[in-house]
Amino acid sequence: MSTRTQVFATVDRGTASTAVALIGRMGGRYRLLGSTGGPAGVPADALIERLRRSVAAADPELAEALGIGQAGIAPDLPRLVCSTARPPLLAVIAATERVVRPLAAIAETAGWQVRTLVLDGAEILKTAMDLSDRHVDAILAGASEPPGADERTLIGELGTLVAAATERRPDLVTVLAGGLAAPSGKTEALFRPDRPGPTVLAPSPTAHDGESLRSLLDSLRGGEDDGRRAIGAATGSLARVLRRRVEVLEIGQSGGSRTLASWQPGGSPSVHTATVARAALLPRPFAEADLDAVIGWLPISLDRLRTRDRLREMAIAPWGDAAGEGAILRMAAVRAATGRLLEMTPGFDVLPAPDLVVASGGAWLAAPATATALAIADVARRPGARAVGLDHARVLAPIGTIEDDEERARLLADLRDDLLVPLGTIVTAAGLRGTRTLGTLTVHGGGSPLEVELVPGGVELVDVPPGERATIELRFREPVDLGVRARHISLEVLGGLGGLVVDLRDVPLHLPERLEPRRELLASWQAAVWPGFDQ
Amino acid sequence: MARVRPVSDAVASPAWLDEIPLHRLVEPGIETSVPLPPGDRPLVEPGTAVLPGDLLLEHVRDRRVDEVDVRTPDGGRPLAGSRWAPVPGRRHRAEHLADGELLAPMPGKSSRWRLVTGEHRAQITSSVAGIVIEVRPGAMIRLRIDGLALRGAFAAGSSARGRLELATDPFGDLRPGGIDVGRTGSILVVGSRIDAEALTRARAMGVRGIVAASIAGKDLRDFQASERRQRAALHVPEPFGVLALDGAIKRSIATPVAALLERLAGHEVALLVDPPALVFDGSGIDLPTVAPDWVRVRSGPNIGAEGRVLGLVGLRRFSGGVHLEAARVELDGEPPIEMPLGDLERLG
Repeated sequence: MSTRTQVFATVDRGTASTAVALIGRMGGRYRLLGSTGGPAGVPADALIERLRRSVAAADPELAEALGIGQAGIAPDLPRLVCSTARPPLLAVIAATERVVRPLAAIAETAGWQVRTLVLDGAEILKTAMDLSDRHVDAILAGASEPPGADERTLIGELGTLVAAATERRPDLVTVLAGGLAAPSGKTEALFRPDRPGPTVLAPSPTAHDGESLRSLLDSLRGGEDDGRRAIGAATGSLARVLRRRVEVLEIGQSGGSRTLASWQPGGSPSVHTATVARAALLPRPFAEADLDAVIGWLPISLDRLRTRDRLREMAIAPWGDAAGEGAILRMAAVRAATGRLLEMTPGFDVLPAPDLVVASGGAWLAAPATATALAIADVARRPGARAVGLDHARVLAPIGTIEDDEERARLLADLRDDLLVPLGTIVTAAGLRGTRTLGTLTVHGGGSPLEVELVPGGVELVDVPPGERATIELRFREPVDLGVRARHISLEVLGGLGGLVVDLRDVPLHLPERLEPRRELLASWQAAVWPGFDQ
Repeated sequence: MARVRPVSDAVASPAWLDEIPLHRLVEPGIETSVPLPPGDRPLVEPGTAVLPGDLLLEHVRDRRVDEVDVRTPDGGRPLAGSRWAPVPGRRHRAEHLADGELLAPMPGKSSRWRLVTGEHRAQITSSVAGIVIEVRPGAMIRLRIDGLALRGAFAAGSSARGRLELATDPFGDLRPGGIDVGRTGSILVVGSRIDAEALTRARAMGVRGIVAASIAGKDLRDFQASERRQRAALHVPEPFGVLALDGAIKRSIATPVAALLERLAGHEVALLVDPPALVFDGSGIDLPTVAPDWVRVRSGPNIGAEGRVLGLVGLRRFSGGVHLEAARVELDGEPPIEMPLGDLERLG
């Protein structure tokens, strides 16, 4: 795509849906003209044509000026395309549980669906069957470097079993990590060099906190236009353009990703990213615990069997049943998926907290934007204040496919006002003590100051419209944790569709064990932010 | 019915039908794979043309691992997955050694191998006609199927073949009492839904397969547990599969699909589990035609209803405050309503 292109499309092909956007050059810079989406099977050209029609109807002169006034131009429009696919299956094998655990943990954040196998005490036949199973796409075999006393007697067995699996399935990508990749280990010599699948030598899971191995595994899956990898690149550029720490929480039908990028003056942004197959809206396999997690976030009464059947329908036709109870069920699944994403990426929690959290991916678009801010507050529970935005047009990932960092940053700078729907600001306080009142919140906006009493366990919502800023003063009776420990704090916050959310609930969130009071509590919070919410 | 509030004007375009998800009524040339775990012996090679009933593989039912010394004529190392058999006439240390598949060499001993073998073997036949495109010992046999496939949402049990029979109308449920030995060898179309009790009775009566619009998750799990118990027994159970055409929530079989199944009644068909599909020989079958504007409600409050799509109406606000692209549809002869595009499907 040339930088002088007048108008182009972005296409994000997900496993459940396809999102398209039209971006045109106006007044010397690119602006988002509009966006839409449809089920995965609907051709992107049909969606682009729908969008073109809308632009032409709303502003015929602009459409003519950009050359999109006539029907049938969709196939000829330049486009940025990314796609996500179902996560491939990686069999992770080591001699002992001690060794396999860190390997599996890294593989799970590299976008693979993981099947963990331990040789110690296992039946050889079952292990061999699991390795050469037709659904397995790759094998990661590892050992400590140097091998520990508990695994030395099993290293030879491990090598011969994995090599035998690649003789049955020569196409298998095989990654040897740690002690198995050591030149003295001789394991590599067991693998036939003439087979079609590569044998890759990988670093130990302990090297660079596992980042080298994670990065290698991530590069072995997905195509060049992989949407989740592209989000990592786009987030780095966005952090640079906004000069902020930006975290993107992306949830889709086939997986989720978490990216945290920090802007550094004079340098390239530092980007941490993880792609987690288990963070899919409906992960595979879908276990009882996954069903429990969804039910645990449901603010409506829906029995277990019916919930399971509706989730199964959602897996078959993810674009359907998107209104009414379907939207509520979907947002419960989004919360559960985001919970898994955060739980499986604990390394991000020790990094500096983000200034801006962005919700991305088709799954977040199920609810009205106002309800999305609360969903993020429910699951991403970190003390402090952060602005929240929604990648409503799903353009971040397609823009991330632009290889040149400068070009990517220029486009994002042009689109900075259109890219994200501002959802507002979430202020989360932790370490709260007291039963009746904790203190007061004073909001200094356009009019006279607004004072709100702060009650523990609640969520205070203050209307701060998109595009506006307000200064808030929080006065607590006791010192609380707001990222820093203080009793009195003053902040400037950004407005949004969800306004200001002052979250005085527990960190982490504790909900009643019994379902009925739990649902009532969840419903009371959601009713306040979800127009049309019907219990 | 969903209550809607218009937020944009209706649009009429000859290309708008593309925006409604299209579900193909039948597909030619689909592929299927048959598991070939270590020990099972393939009886076909890539390129082999198979017909229904042709042998595909020899399945070992009591798989075990033995150790054997393997010597190749050229002194080289054999490949894992190769077959091995005792040399005729030579006495072995362990006389019970039977032929089998080389699993993996013993660590540090290149001529000493683990062998997967067993005494009880069953011959598995193909339920479809097609061409073998890949044979991976220890993994799978892949076939490209001749004929047409009606894809389903999910399936359970094992692939099977039989004569298609309609047990109920497309809206009906089949109760356990409605299945008797007269249905032996058939694949039954049972309408909107079937429960686990009726499934296990059908299997006991010698039915080869069940096709229904939907199967509830609880019934599917109960059936799968029963299947596992059956497979664990030493006697070889007859193949029996169950195919859900649409999903887990009750609805009737779509009219064009029901019309196709009516035309297939009395013909031999195959029920596949991977991928979930009903496969048949399309020659001599007059496929039903579907009007381009025919739609069916795939999900949501009017699930299963059918009618005509009149046009796209743009974004509409639906219950729960959600804005979705919508179409105006006329369902079951009722006055037109507006529905989310995502809840509709076309067949073609």
